[in-house]
Amino acid sequence: MQPGNDSDDDDDAGPDASGEFRVPAALRGGAALPERAEVVIIGAGVVGLSIAYHLAKRGMTDVVVVDRGYLAEGASGRNGGGVRQQWSTEINIRLMQESVALCRRFAVELGVNVWFRQGGYLFLARSAKEIARLEKNIALQNRCGVSTRMLSPQEAGEVVPEIDLTGIVGAAYNPTDGILFPWPFLWGYARQAIALGVKVLTHTPVRALTAQKPGFTVETDRGSIQARRVINACGSWSPSIAKMLGVELPTWPIRHEICSSEPLKPFLRPMVSELSSGLYCSQSMRGEIVGGVTVPGHGSTHAMGSTLEFLATYSRRLVKLMPRLGDVKILRQWAGPYDCSPDGNPILGEPPGVRDFYLACGFVGHGFMMAPIVGKLYGDWLTGGERHEIFDRYTLGRFTDGSAAHHEKEDFNIG
Amino acid sequence: MGSKIVVCRCEDVTRADLEHSVARGYRDIEEVKRYTGFGTGPCQGKECLAVVATALAEITGEDPSFIAPFTSRPPLAPTPIKLLARDPAAHRFPDDPAEPVAAASEEET
Amino acid sequence: MEGQTIRAFTSESVAAALVASGERVLSRSLKYHRPRTFFCMEGHCGGCLARIDGVPNLRACQTPCTTGTTIEGQNAYPSPEIDLFGAVDFLFPRGMDHHTLMTGSSILNNLASKVVRQLSGLGKLPATESHELPAVQLERVDVCVIGGGPAGLAAATAAASSGASTLLVDDQLRLGGSLLADPRLGVAVADARVAAAMAAGVRALPRSTAIAFFPEDAPEDGGVLAVATPDHLVRVVARRWVWATGGYAVNLLFADNDRPGVLAARGVGRMLVQHGIAAGERICVVVGKGMDDYANALAEALRGARVDVTTTSADQVERARGRSWVTAVELTSRRRLDCDVVAVAAMPAPASEGPRQQGCRTVLDPARGGFRVIVDRDGRTSTPDVFACGDVCGYVGPMAAATVGARVGGAAAEEALALARELGPIATTAARRGA
Repeated sequence: MQPGNDSDDDDDAGPDASGEFRVPAALRGGAALPERAEVVIIGAGVVGLSIAYHLAKRGMTDVVVVDRGYLAEGASGRNGGGVRQQWSTEINIRLMQESVALCRRFAVELGVNVWFRQGGYLFLARSAKEIARLEKNIALQNRCGVSTRMLSPQEAGEVVPEIDLTGIVGAAYNPTDGILFPWPFLWGYARQAIALGVKVLTHTPVRALTAQKPGFTVETDRGSIQARRVINACGSWSPSIAKMLGVELPTWPIRHEICSSEPLKPFLRPMVSELSSGLYCSQSMRGEIVGGVTVPGHGSTHAMGSTLEFLATYSRRLVKLMPRLGDVKILRQWAGPYDCSPDGNPILGEPPGVRDFYLACGFVGHGFMMAPIVGKLYGDWLTGGERHEIFDRYTLGRFTDGSAAHHEKEDFNIG
Repeated sequence: MGSKIVVCRCEDVTRADLEHSVARGYRDIEEVKRYTGFGTGPCQGKECLAVVATALAEITGEDPSFIAPFTSRPPLAPTPIKLLARDPAAHRFPDDPAEPVAAASEEET
Repeated sequence: MEGQTIRAFTSESVAAALVASGERVLSRSLKYHRPRTFFCMEGHCGGCLARIDGVPNLRACQTPCTTGTTIEGQNAYPSPEIDLFGAVDFLFPRGMDHHTLMTGSSILNNLASKVVRQLSGLGKLPATESHELPAVQLERVDVCVIGGGPAGLAAATAAASSGASTLLVDDQLRLGGSLLADPRLGVAVADARVAAAMAAGVRALPRSTAIAFFPEDAPEDGGVLAVATPDHLVRVVARRWVWATGGYAVNLLFADNDRPGVLAARGVGRMLVQHGIAAGERICVVVGKGMDDYANALAEALRGARVDVTTTSADQVERARGRSWVTAVELTSRRRLDCDVVAVAAMPAPASEGPRQQGCRTVLDPARGGFRVIVDRDGRTSTPDVFACGDVCGYVGPMAAATVGARVGGAAAEEALALARELGPIATTAARRGA
């Protein structure tokens, strides 16, 4: 909804880019803009709101979250809702075990249904090379206590009888992975954070961010705030905010398209993913088949229009994998940005030389499932508690001081 | 049967649901769509978008001409997956079989 | 339905045949299991979804009847007429916020999740696998007109008459749009206009829906319009686009306005004019703002078909009465108007989502039905190469739509032909397979 020359406005969010459809005051949610705050979080996506909630829960309630658009406008409202523990690096596996535990408690803790359903994740392999990759991951996952196991094609067929097993050579299956409905996550965090005293201001784009001594001035469309600390949780839009302080982020946006079918009676238990094409699909709590596929060959973009190329690629792979879906109808397609980082891992903590400015970005399309635990760890750290090793490991500095090479690359980013 | 004023029949959204959504702070039409689910069913808003937008103007006291429609997402009508599968734009992966899909590129008259 | 044999004319839709045979409720709604059936009779609302020949969620009103067609109800037990899950509606008489339902304890919440999962969805997975995948067809034309009603037929006829290769895309079982739902015009007028369009050289794609405009696919052609026919996909590339998609039938807001038997007046008109079926024996016409002309014409025609007709203005209606089918309209004065069908004449909502995908400016104008496309006198929208005419630009009704359609079709053709003089004519208008 941000007017200006951005090319990243939604396909047709208004009649033109001149700002004619600026959201009128009566339709803007949120409280009045305060003059100062202990923490300003830029970005009311799931990462920013999770951090806000966990800060407030630990007593730090002088927190303001600003967002340029409506709640769930960015990637947090556009993803497929998958939450899995099948990763290729130990730290991500362990983090996601924590996230799954938090997801199980979310509805009761935050008073909103996220329809978390642990139907498992089934990764299908079509080659010996893919099997080897899965086996290596499974060994690591088992060491961490995740119950992933290798299935024969026949066993995979028992989990999802609709799959055409021609060409399938095996599958990795962890029954405790799951899916949830993304939007309520944002509502739950926002609502509880607000109840604890946090201010969440949507339709409030940040125009400038300047370092003061101490703290920062955050200038928005609705006035400015003096902040002692600022957290950049803008997902793929994070580089433009960091740049306001002279910080260059090595992340880039990639459009990922996704679509949803008509609602069908429940038949598909796990999230199904095919490694060779990046195809994935699951059945939502509403009964829709929600899924996507890799469409290679496109550069970095914030464009969020929909393409026939995606729709055709997805349809082609899906009907091949599950021929009974041929007569199922697509209802709706959309797109969201992956916030890509050079080593597939997030960027957290303070950039070198800039104190009190914290990064929470570079989640490569998996920020949603990471947000519960990352928000909790940020909350611990910034309220004087434990500083988790992720804040030393996943710094911006790792890309310049040579330490990135010492860490494992996460290569199990799907879609 | 419970008495309800229905604004979106596909998703059983009532006028009271719109008021509830606004009261909870979800006032932008995109937020109202996500919170109530209106316009996300088989008709994708054909029957309900104008009705809801007009009701939203009444509930919030906003001038209707300031209310934008929600994003018009493809496809505009439910479309079977099989109709889309042979579009020439579909990306080919290395493991894609030559048949039967390759026939799509043959010239026919 | 289930186990019954229904006689029908093969040109009829499944829905029209069901109405004529007295079969009524087709499914139950997703959340409250309220009874659902046809409403618009134009394939746009989600009312008449049924499982037809093993395929879920098909619109009965757009499915032609053929011998041996199997129709099954959906999302109901034991049947859509008597559905036990309809209890949900009683349990939540004031509605419910499913986002906060049963979040009090984890045991209740887990239980709720399991129940909701089992209740979710409408139809069941299709019965058969799809192995034969249809090829995609490519069309290149000077002018593509979307919508075969009064505005679109006039626009296409004018475009083709001036020498532009013209494709007409229409999503209904029969060309004619609102002409076929208006007793003042009707089948003969529609057929004459269709014949005139064909004589002028218009090529029509009937039963075909423009499903999306994709600007990034085929950027060298300025984007591609994907059109779904009943059995294959067509990619359309055109020099000028004319949106004549009209307006969607919508409902008016009164209590239990979703009760089966509450039908769009235009749907009632369509059954009468196009199919020769009186939707009921006692019909109450509810007249919304700005719809007096159409409502009066419909009421008169229904009376001519020996239907007992009452009319009332929308602002006097309090609620619909009846369980699985409407039995009366109750007015704010507490007066009851007994009836077996309520014909809701609400101003149609401009079908502007296609133009919006092309970036055309719209504005919410309740007095003209909804989000109307903003155009100049010749139908030019805010997007170059894109025109619009008729009710999609705000409700004008079928007579005015035809007049403006002819002007707009001519203007679009003129621009397309000027481009043809500059760049050369479109190579072929014949269907070419693949790409």
